[in-house]
Amino acid sequence: MSHPPDHGVSRRSFLKGSAVAGIATTGITAATKAAAGPPVPESFGPGEHEITLSVNGAKKRVKVETRTTLLDALRDRMDMTGAKKICDRGACGGCTVLVDGMPTNSCLTLAMDAVGTELRTIEGLSNGDNAHPLVKNFVTCDALQCGFCTPGMVMSSLACLEKRGKPTPEQMRQDLSGNLCRCGTYGRVMEAIDKTANGGGK
Amino acid sequence: MATPNTPNPNTPRAVEITVGYKALSPNQKDRLEKIEVNPAEGDAPPWDALTEYQTVGTDVDRTDGMQKATGRAKYAYDISFPDLQQAMILRAPIARGILKSLYLDEARAMPGISAVVALKKDGSKIRLVGDAVAAVSGKTLDMVRDAIEKIRADYEAEQHNVDYLMDEEAPMLDANGQLDEEWDEDSKVDKALADATHTHTGTYRTEVQTHSSLETHGNTCRWDGNNLEVWASTQATFGVQGELARGLGAHNVKVESVDVHAEFVGGGFGSKFSAGIEGLACALLAHAAKLPVKLMLDRHEEHTAAGNRPSALMQVRGGIDKNGKITAWDWRSFGGCGYNGRGGAVRYPNYYMGDAATRRKHKDIACDTDPARSMRAPGYPQGWFGAEMFLDELAAKASMDPLAFRLKNDSEAMRLDQWQFAADKFGWDKARAKKNDANARYVTGVGCASARWGQLGRHGGRRQSYGVTCRIHPDGMVEARNGSQDIGTGLKTVLQILTAEELGIPASRVRGVTGHTSDPLGPASGGSTTTPSIAPAVRHAAFLAKNKLIALVAAHLGVPEGDVTCANDKVGTKNAKLDFTEACKLVGQTPIEVHGERYPNYRDKPFHPGVCGAQFAEVRVDTWTGEVQVTRMFGIQDCGLVIAKKLAESQVIGAMIQGVSYAVHEQRIMDQRSGRMLNGDFLRYKITGSKDLPDIECHMHSVANGHNNTGAAGLGEPPSTATAAAIGNAVFHAIGAPVRHIPITPEKVLAAIASK
Ligand code: FES
Ligand code: FES
Repeated sequence: MSHPPDHGVSRRSFLKGSAVAGIATTGITAATKAAAGPPVPESFGPGEHEITLSVNGAKKRVKVETRTTLLDALRDRMDMTGAKKICDRGACGGCTVLVDGMPTNSCLTLAMDAVGTELRTIEGLSNGDNAHPLVKNFVTCDALQCGFCTPGMVMSSLACLEKRGKPTPEQMRQDLSGNLCRCGTYGRVMEAIDKTANGGGK
Repeated sequence: MATPNTPNPNTPRAVEITVGYKALSPNQKDRLEKIEVNPAEGDAPPWDALTEYQTVGTDVDRTDGMQKATGRAKYAYDISFPDLQQAMILRAPIARGILKSLYLDEARAMPGISAVVALKKDGSKIRLVGDAVAAVSGKTLDMVRDAIEKIRADYEAEQHNVDYLMDEEAPMLDANGQLDEEWDEDSKVDKALADATHTHTGTYRTEVQTHSSLETHGNTCRWDGNNLEVWASTQATFGVQGELARGLGAHNVKVESVDVHAEFVGGGFGSKFSAGIEGLACALLAHAAKLPVKLMLDRHEEHTAAGNRPSALMQVRGGIDKNGKITAWDWRSFGGCGYNGRGGAVRYPNYYMGDAATRRKHKDIACDTDPARSMRAPGYPQGWFGAEMFLDELAAKASMDPLAFRLKNDSEAMRLDQWQFAADKFGWDKARAKKNDANARYVTGVGCASARWGQLGRHGGRRQSYGVTCRIHPDGMVEARNGSQDIGTGLKTVLQILTAEELGIPASRVRGVTGHTSDPLGPASGGSTTTPSIAPAVRHAAFLAKNKLIALVAAHLGVPEGDVTCANDKVGTKNAKLDFTEACKLVGQTPIEVHGERYPNYRDKPFHPGVCGAQFAEVRVDTWTGEVQVTRMFGIQDCGLVIAKKLAESQVIGAMIQGVSYAVHEQRIMDQRSGRMLNGDFLRYKITGSKDLPDIECHMHSVANGHNNTGAAGLGEPPSTATAAAIGNAVFHAIGAPVRHIPITPEKVLAAIASK
């Protein structure tokens, strides 16, 4: 089957990346290769391939297409609906997860690119009634209204705390600047970060 | 809090209560008065200004906060089933014309596709870029997108116009953007203007703002035979229920029942009253596919085809006498609407005008864009921007301080207290007196504006009153349920707090449940009516449940019911008390279940017919670049009884942030040639983010209005009326020239500075 050229390009540029090694070890079957001529990179697709993602410390196998974003993989294929698709363009931060500790827009990340990384999602911050102090402080500071931006806000706040320890208000504004909230919770999110940095919510 | 447990049939129904509020600060007076009210028979006795609360008005946490902060909350967008189908809508690329023909077969044959439905017939009108034409469901969104590309739709385009000011009905503007047309004669207004000591004229404009709820419109639908279950992102569960039943009927789909769930909703702000074409499409696809289907709009669709606050063009001329009293007020306004030419009406703060000669005219103008939908105080932020800025310009002509000018003209006594209180907190006198250095690059300024809304709640829909179910379970847990939705405003927490207060138990023992149409009827979340409408029914339900529990305890203790009270987590008499949880064991296996009724508001005159507020803003303007940063705001807001203090503050602060966004950032940009919205995404449609955030403080002003047993009034909308106006005035103060057109962008600021 032939593909529109843009798909082929994105598959190859994906394969050029550092994720190749990770993918190879997780057992994706490579599609046909050219027999002669200059070496042609492996290509996958169409259709689904099984990959292994490390999410909140657990290895999970999931079938994705090459074009499946990490966000869609988490939400639609792994039943982790905490992260939200709000803009699908990297403009709102609602889909923020931590990839090797870095806050990342999962709507702009291909699931296959996340192979071999350590992913942390909002689901990893609580276990039944037991929750990370930051999560508790979001509640006690009322840093949420409709709550739709909240999972992304919590993950960006967590990254801010882990990176800076005791962030200043300016640093918080900076680290939250990729997250939009229509209900207007920014100030109280900053309070929740501050409270956590000072040992609250334990 | 002690209220009698059972109404005594021998006492007259009229009750004397104390209404009003205690002094806001030591240098103000209590405003308390006694009024007589006539509650319905069997209703819970009214709370009033002297009631001492345990839980109401305290900092209870949002009851569903943990679900939201952990990501466990399931929004319509998060609902999933093993065989769930994803869906999308094909939208028209032309702003006006006819759909000539639609070919769906090729899409139907694409891999993974479960259903394709036409949403328009051949020959139907196309009214905007983004008009819904057909919908497709399939296994993944990517597959659906592939199939949508295979649909062939042919259109016949007609001449369109997406700028209301280009319409022939629109008034002419001069080179400075000022309305340039003669005023009709009006002997009273003309005379008042002629007699005035100072007069002034100004034209003010606002731009289209999209609601930009972060959860887009959409639903997940599942059929079981002829019964439809819908998880909706809506602010009107019951509205969606009725609308879908009717809509499906019109498509010859047999429906026996529609159940709607909206346990969590990612914002609405007035855009989500209707199931919309996306709701109907989702139900039709699920019906055709015989599988559950989810259809959520994407961000571009949300910006372009899910409603907006229309733009406004307003011109005011007015005059004052030598004492600074307004004597003439002549207002004409135009609403820049979508294709249906509706929803552009603007209001202005009429409590400043006293006996002035006034006139008010308005006209809505249509163009080929997405129709207006109500948005957080429809018509108010526009009109308040125009009117409150005009007041500052008029005050400047008379060399009066804008606050002093307002104190002289504002006829609402409650707001006079608020003005003074808020001005002190904000530090108005000092900030207003501060002079900017003539050569400074950065200049600061302060401004203020009033807030007003008129909502004390409704008792029911056309056919049925609102209600609440209260259950006391044998394990000591209490449930309060209503079928309306909590769109982030805190209705669940309101149910929880009021029930806890009435039963004298900690809030943690009560669960507030909302968002299922199987529960009692409640209102749409519009007009700031949800809490004021539901609160009295919550209380009534808890009151009835309490009386049942008291009867059991009285029998158990062998004492008269009249001696038993529920307070401090105990039920009993002075001498013999049971812990509340012990008392609940007397309930037996089946919980106590009662239905609380929403009686109409008392017919007696309340303390105040609406709610008042006042806001102050400080801005810093970069005179080199024209950039405006809102640095500080203070708001005071009354909402009748403050039930959940922390949540109420969040809502006021949130409204102010949206106001900042409206004043300096947001603007829909249309392309006249193609008829499209050019900035239909969050990259190019800017809303306020963390870096734009001012320091915001707010003060909740709890007022006993005495209009029903609880006295809650509307809150979501009132604070959003004032903000843009206060910011506009602060910019005027900072640069010494008014920018009469929001958003106040750098080029407008630079032009205003240059025009000085
Ligand atoms: S959904 Fe990923 S940034 Fe908006
Ligand atoms: S809480 Fe509603 S969008 Fe942030």
